[in-house]
Amino acid sequence: MIFFVLLLVAMFLALVVQHFIPPLPVIGSRVLLMPIVMFYGALALPTPGMLVLAFCGGIMWDALHVQIIKGNVEIALGWSIVLYATLGALMGGFRPLFQRGRWEIHCLLSGVCTSMIVLSEYLMITFRREPVVFLFNKEIWWRIGGAGLVAVLLSPFFFFTLNYLAFLVGFDTQPARNIKRSR
Amino acid sequence: MSRRLVIPSVLIFIVATGFILFLSPHNMRRVQAGFLGIISPFLKTGSAFDKKYRDFREGLKTLEQLEEENKRLVVSNKEMSATNQTLRGLETENNRLRNALGYRERAVFKLLPARIISRDASTWYNEVIIDRGVADGLKEEGDQAVLTEEGLVGKTTVVSDHSATVVLISDEACRVAASVEGTREQGIVKGERASSGSTPSIGLNFLSKQANLKNGANVYTSGAGGVFPSGVLIGQVKDFKMRELDGHATVVPAVDLTTLEDVFVVVGDNK
Repeated sequence: MIFFVLLLVAMFLALVVQHFIPPLPVIGSRVLLMPIVMFYGALALPTPGMLVLAFCGGIMWDALHVQIIKGNVEIALGWSIVLYATLGALMGGFRPLFQRGRWEIHCLLSGVCTSMIVLSEYLMITFRREPVVFLFNKEIWWRIGGAGLVAVLLSPFFFFTLNYLAFLVGFDTQPARNIKRSR
Repeated sequence: MSRRLVIPSVLIFIVATGFILFLSPHNMRRVQAGFLGIISPFLKTGSAFDKKYRDFREGLKTLEQLEEENKRLVVSNKEMSATNQTLRGLETENNRLRNALGYRERAVFKLLPARIISRDASTWYNEVIIDRGVADGLKEEGDQAVLTEEGLVGKTTVVSDHSATVVLISDEACRVAASVEGTREQGIVKGERASSGSTPSIGLNFLSKQANLKNGANVYTSGAGGVFPSGVLIGQVKDFKMRELDGHATVVPAVDLTTLEDVFVVVGDNK
């Protein structure tokens, strides 16, 4: 429970901090920190915990990013909850591997899922805006892929920091690893 | 224990998410304003640290440099004061003459200074957050023009008690009625998707095909629509091309939207 609250706080702080990180020069992609924490939670926590994390993370994300201009809602508040929960469930499938100590699972899946989030945002905007134009140039692909690449590079730092926090509060995120070692 | 909790937790999750997804736009805006209220103290603190750090880096100057800068600023200040006095006189005279000619006196708007506490945090939207909100006199429903002394910046969207989100003119969703200096051409300015960089291009659409605008022509707000006051500089025409049905010009914003620090919100007429 303490670790769950810590993850929520970490998600909130990551959301604040990513506001002060400018887009990457040349490729223009954003550094998205909050999804990395959220996806760590999806691997470390059981399904109910992951769902609560997806709910809180999604609502925080949408509350800050969804655009409402003159009553026109492009993307409904709450869509990120569904997306985070779906991606979280997908990551949950890799949980047994993660529990056996495979930290690179978080690293790779964070990258893929972060890019999925950015791509989904873009597709929703494309479908909602008139006229519907599928504009997929190099710059747009870089923004989608770049966010994922940054997530891959940063996730080991988050993984070890959050794992250390879990250790401090006595939460074992990778119990199968310990079993293997004790054998 | 955990497995027994899965089905109830999924059910609760579906109900709670469904409830959020079907909120009305008004309630969505309230949720956004509420969260903006929670996060804005953190953004303000972060922004203050960020500014202190940048000031520290930029402020490392020698005494000679500071003296030179001070001299330059004193001269510039005197020049500006003199220009300001002259312009005030001209403004009064202009309004009087307009009145005499039966034109409506041009509104001189009341401006509220604001500081940017967070910028451009999303991938696809061009937005900033300012440190002014309902408590400072902004309208809760938003739609108030934001500008600098150089030109138009955007308009407010979600407004909380002490902060507000501003959608920039470089965003595709921000549309501004505009006119081109020295012509009768009018059109709609809107940003381009995934535009970025210090000078993102914005498009001026729905011009006549015969417009043939010259590069460098100034584009101003026309005032149509009621959100943006008329006569505010938007930018300069970069190029013009004819499309099948209309003319389209690419406009370079007058304001560098990536280095913005201080802006003004138009909060009403200055009467």
